[in-house]
Amino acid sequence: MSPATPTEREHLNQLLIRTGRKDEKAFAELYQRTSSKLFGVCLRMLRNRSEADEVLQETYTTVWRRAASFDDAKAGAITWLTAIARNKSIDRLRQHREEPLEDPYLIDSMGGDQTTPAAEAESSHEYRRLEKCLDALEPQQRNSVREAFFTGATYNELAKRCQVPLGTMKSWIRRSLMQLRICLDQ
Amino acid sequence: MNATADDGGDDLRYAEYVLGVLDADGRARVAHEVQTIDEAAIAVAVWQQRLMPLAERVEELAPPPYVWARILDALHLGTPAPLKRQGLWENLPLWHWLGVGASVIAAALLVVLFLPNRTPPPAAGHLDYMVSTMQQDNGVTGWTATMDLQHARMVVVPATPVAMAEGRAPELWLIPAGQKPISVGVIDRDKPTTIALDPAMLARLGPTASLAVTAEPLGGSPSGQPTGAVIAKGAISGAPPAGAPGHQVARVYVRDPGAGPV
Repeated sequence: MSPATPTEREHLNQLLIRTGRKDEKAFAELYQRTSSKLFGVCLRMLRNRSEADEVLQETYTTVWRRAASFDDAKAGAITWLTAIARNKSIDRLRQHREEPLEDPYLIDSMGGDQTTPAAEAESSHEYRRLEKCLDALEPQQRNSVREAFFTGATYNELAKRCQVPLGTMKSWIRRSLMQLRICLDQ
Repeated sequence: MNATADDGGDDLRYAEYVLGVLDADGRARVAHEVQTIDEAAIAVAVWQQRLMPLAERVEELAPPPYVWARILDALHLGTPAPLKRQGLWENLPLWHWLGVGASVIAAALLVVLFLPNRTPPPAAGHLDYMVSTMQQDNGVTGWTATMDLQHARMVVVPATPVAMAEGRAPELWLIPAGQKPISVGVIDRDKPTTIALDPAMLARLGPTASLAVTAEPLGGSPSGQPTGAVIAKGAISGAPPAGAPGHQVARVYVRDPGAGPV
């Protein structure tokens, strides 16, 4: 599911709107079309299958309950859904561990993204714009932002992983966020 | 660019929230603001728009099928399964069909499930299914339970609708040998109930455990332990491995008692 085309996006929006009206069929199709994506997001952050199972379940029960508040004028369905999955995953990470269970992997070895030419061609306008703005950042800062986004790590954890003082990490990320805001709002 | 770390204020905090770098307290504070302050909700939504596209490239992976079963269960929904399914357990029309004529057809299903048991059951741990026939004191089968270990699901089919006092509902219990009953959930008395089994529950299923149904207040026992009388009970045994689920489905139809004497 890579809702790159406007038609696909609109279809997902409609499914989510219908889910908000308690349309079970729409909810089932929404799950079918988006659960692999959201499971990938949960798994990437939690790095643990059974936790990802649980968080995905929490995500979609929340989707069912909150879908009525979805407003397609404010956000696309996939953004709305991904935000819920990430929030649930991050909350789970905070609940029981400040440090990840697995060995932290180095920022320089960030992987797991599909960077094939095909993926490139399928990516949305929004994705390409964001990538362009990320590319304008210093490499270390760009990598910190990506690591933070994909692992849900706190400032403390990021600083340890990168072996830099906490203040340095905070300033890297904060400066990056402000630069991204300027770049993306242009 | 001249952006500095200090010029963001609240908006920076909302960005940090969306990116995911805040600690638990910081997150709780922003989550509360999103609920109570319009500006916070808008700012967070805008940051989500800005940053969520990054997730586009995350590798997709199909979740295990029991997740959907658990979602439906948690929300008390009966939506048909959205995923392409195969085999007896995935055959929802079959289960719906079973629900229509449960009283007679459950018996047919039981026959099917027990038929190959003339051969020794496979060693525990290699079972795909387990079954239990829960009988009432008078020897009449009240419910049959079939447990799909692979997909962590149990389907409980009423064989004979059991009379219940007003304001009471049947609740199913798993009783591991020598241990306290564990609530599996409230079940229907007149149609099949599908229940997702959590890993702790799965681990306790086995030939030394049994199932029992008690009459409890609507919504289930308030104490977490049975409070009412046992109305049906049965041991758990291994069902034949699902080597040929299609074959089994065919047999269910063949042995439909409506079509002739069993």
